Amino acid sequence: MSETTQRDFLDPAVLGRLLSLPLNARSPMLGNVAGRHRSPVKGSSLEFAQYRKYVPGDDTRRLDWRTWGRTDRYYIKEFEADTNLRLCLIADTSGSMDYETGGTESPMSRLQMVRQLSGSLAYLAAHQGDAVGIYSGARGVEEEIPPRRGPSHLGVVLDQIGSLAAGGETNLVAAMHEAAEKIPSRALIAIFSDLLFDPEPMREALQHLRFRKHDVALFHLLDRQEVDFEFDRPTRFVDLEGGPALLADPSLIEKPYREAVGNYLAQIDEIVSQLAIDYHRVWLDEPHDQILARFLIGRTPRTAKRNG
Amino acid sequence: MSFLQPLLLAALPLALLPVLIHLIHRQRHRTVRWAAMMFLLDAKKMARGMARLRQILILTMRVIALAALIFAISRPLAGGWVGLLGGARADTVLILLDRSASMEQTDLVTGRSKRSTALDRLADLFDKTGSGANLVVIDSVTLQASEIPDPESLAEHPATAPTDTESDIPRLIQAGLDWLDQSEAGRTDIWLASDLRANDWRSDSARWGAIREQLAAAESRRLFLLSFPELPEENLGIAIEDVTRQQVGTDFQLSLDLVLSRDASDESSAPAKQAVEVTLNGTRTTVELTFANGRSTLPGFVIDLGKGEPKGWGRLDLPADSFPGDNSAWFVYDEETPRFTAIVSDDAQVAAAISAAANAAVDRTLSYSSEVYASGETQRIPWNRASLLVWNSELPAKDSNTARLLDQYLARGRSLLLLPPAADSEPSAGNQPESWRGIEWGERIQSGETPPSVEWWRTGSGLLANTRNGDPLPVNDLKILKRRPFSAPDTQSFLEIADDESLLSEVITPEPGHLYMLSLLPRQDHSSLASDGIAYFVMLHRALEQGANYATRASLRPVLAESEPNSSPVDWLDQRRAESSAGSELRGGALRLNQEGSDSVLIAQNRPITEDQPEVVSSAALDNLLGEGGYQRIDDAVENDRSLAAEIWRAFLIAMALALLIEAILSLPPPPDPALQEKGLSPSSSQ
Repeated sequence: MSETTQRDFLDPAVLGRLLSLPLNARSPMLGNVAGRHRSPVKGSSLEFAQYRKYVPGDDTRRLDWRTWGRTDRYYIKEFEADTNLRLCLIADTSGSMDYETGGTESPMSRLQMVRQLSGSLAYLAAHQGDAVGIYSGARGVEEEIPPRRGPSHLGVVLDQIGSLAAGGETNLVAAMHEAAEKIPSRALIAIFSDLLFDPEPMREALQHLRFRKHDVALFHLLDRQEVDFEFDRPTRFVDLEGGPALLADPSLIEKPYREAVGNYLAQIDEIVSQLAIDYHRVWLDEPHDQILARFLIGRTPRTAKRNG
Repeated sequence: MSFLQPLLLAALPLALLPVLIHLIHRQRHRTVRWAAMMFLLDAKKMARGMARLRQILILTMRVIALAALIFAISRPLAGGWVGLLGGARADTVLILLDRSASMEQTDLVTGRSKRSTALDRLADLFDKTGSGANLVVIDSVTLQASEIPDPESLAEHPATAPTDTESDIPRLIQAGLDWLDQSEAGRTDIWLASDLRANDWRSDSARWGAIREQLAAAESRRLFLLSFPELPEENLGIAIEDVTRQQVGTDFQLSLDLVLSRDASDESSAPAKQAVEVTLNGTRTTVELTFANGRSTLPGFVIDLGKGEPKGWGRLDLPADSFPGDNSAWFVYDEETPRFTAIVSDDAQVAAAISAAANAAVDRTLSYSSEVYASGETQRIPWNRASLLVWNSELPAKDSNTARLLDQYLARGRSLLLLPPAADSEPSAGNQPESWRGIEWGERIQSGETPPSVEWWRTGSGLLANTRNGDPLPVNDLKILKRRPFSAPDTQSFLEIADDESLLSEVITPEPGHLYMLSLLPRQDHSSLASDGIAYFVMLHRALEQGANYATRASLRPVLAESEPNSSPVDWLDQRRAESSAGSELRGGALRLNQEGSDSVLIAQNRPITEDQPEVVSSAALDNLLGEGGYQRIDDAVENDRSLAAEIWRAFLIAMALALLIEAILSLPPPPDPALQEKGLSPSSSQ
């Protein structure tokens, strides 16, 4: 057991409500055990997949005799294989993740939100028998727990989540490339970051992940103040990542700031839609259960044959 | 610029308050831990252009608004000439007012004359700027300083009333400067209000040199020339040069020598016919006269009197135009008095020569006579009858009885010609009593082999002036054998030989009469005066006419700036409508002078004919007269509405309002950018 046992980022009531919603993968997963997720290979589940013509060498036990009786042809009846899911959490721990939303009665830091979201997801995945791992870091993958199944492993992952600390400059792109290389087979990769860097290099990293057939979910954590930029008097902005502080008159830069933010978000939107990334813009003042519920519902297939 | 509340300008630094607040506001920043530095850096780069300019503009507008407010409450003064008022405030404001007849040129729309406009402007200026200073007026008529307690009453003051006189501007300025010296006024603003008429400015006056020096020497005095040089565009004028009552058969008629003048904007326009109203003893008729461009004389304009009154008055009137001063001319008439010459001489040859010339009838309708009195018979002289007195005798001693009689004679406007007394009666040197009026006869000079010849004589005016058709008198032919030079304190020479020695001079007297001195005698052995008699004859008769003009019981005369000491009661028969009763004797009109012990005399007073001359002093001539840079010239016109100084706080308040409006527009928050909204800036947007 790790020395960090504090798991106040997990809310039992929230988890209890969310347990009714399954965590699905949007693409078939390659698990090592039977589970509740679709697999790219055909297997022996109850889910009928297709008929195909018999070819010599096929197992004759899987011949559909009824079809042979009606048509006098040999067909093999194939069924979907169900497997388990590997959930890989990638958490950005650069200095900017230490940002706290101001003005609300209960201040919420970005990292805290990451803990709540990633911890809850890890719990939900483990609860339905999926493997969970976590990769965290600022300038690359600094802490790494590969996905595994089992309650004890969940404890390790939750400990790691609880001990996340922000600091240093961002290089999430490097971390994403590293994770893409390290995660061997298809997995659901949930990235938690503020993405406060030039979005263009991120395009390659996401492509890299998609190339590896991973299902990528991107949680973009932003504060409304960072977008709306509503300041009423000159403010000294201290860089959380150690850069020089900046004194600015909001009335002067308000408009260009919003313009810059607008361009940035448009660029992000363009990238995620192009790469079919499951993108979630998360406002720090939102309750995390709503975000998760939205995320989970969004992943539920429209024709819920198996869970309906 | 000048301010009525200049102390409030000390608050001007408050206009920088917005800048100060802005700087304090910047200093009172709060510190925020911030993650999205990349947007801030981008925004800062972009904000260097318009936004910064906008902020600078907003600050500027706030500063302008405050400054305008402070200026407004400081009550700034402006106007066409507000710049002149800069510098120290004067302790005394001295107004030198040209009250000449030409200053009554009037704007037909407003009915305001140049004089009243100048007074209003100055009163307004003084009202606004002159608090605490003395306001003193010296006018061209009285030359006396009058303190004005309240600028409002400036126009009503007797010293500023209209007149029909001529002005002597150099004398007026000199009077002003003298008053300033006497009163030891401190810093003084001298405002000279004039229409710059050349006849009033008298460029040839000897006073200008001293005036220039005095103006240049005094640093505490500033001279402002408020000038109204505008001439009337369309103006008709009428003047009467002479009136003669003539008998035609059994009836009588008046023959008037008129001067008609017309100033037309179009010089080539055809002569204009104009109805002229003739008022004769209150009865009006209308005649039509033709006015050519410029000045023209119309001699012998006849008015029939029939067998009516032997004396009376009349007036010629033109319709109103922009210069009402020359629209009326008055005349009076009476039976002509006989031309009587009194000769005081012990020299029979001289007396005969004078008597012969004086008795020759120039005008057949008049009677000419003369009488000779010995030097001891002066008590027999009929002083009242004589138009000319030729005095070929020793001059009386000052304060003697005879001297007093001569003074009175001159005071009645008659002519006196002094001839050198006989040589053998010269008083012996020493113990000599003081001479009458400082007049002295010198030693008799016998001409040598080459007698002196005439070098110069005055042809423009005086006894030897050219004839009416411009021909000179044959003065050159004069032979001078014996002469007796004279000396007198203040003379005007008419005839000179070498070394500027005057043979004939007029002694300037305060009385209306004329006092002439001739150093020659009309004797064969003294000169050719009597033998080549034309110049002599003309000279004598001109002096006789001058005296007769006063001896007559009806005379024309110009309105005199310095009214003669006249204790006789005056009845006005007719008078130009006066704005106030003050100074009415200075207006044109016909009056009856009731002299004690003799018949009453009719007098027609008209503006001096020189006031009709439209010449204006040029700028170069002004620089020459007053010294270049020694004065500030302000050209004004009667029809102008602007004042010398107007309060312009309204303009500053408008400027403030405008600045605030611009500031408000610039400070408006930018409209929501639909492009930005589309880019997902609305909360909770999700993929």
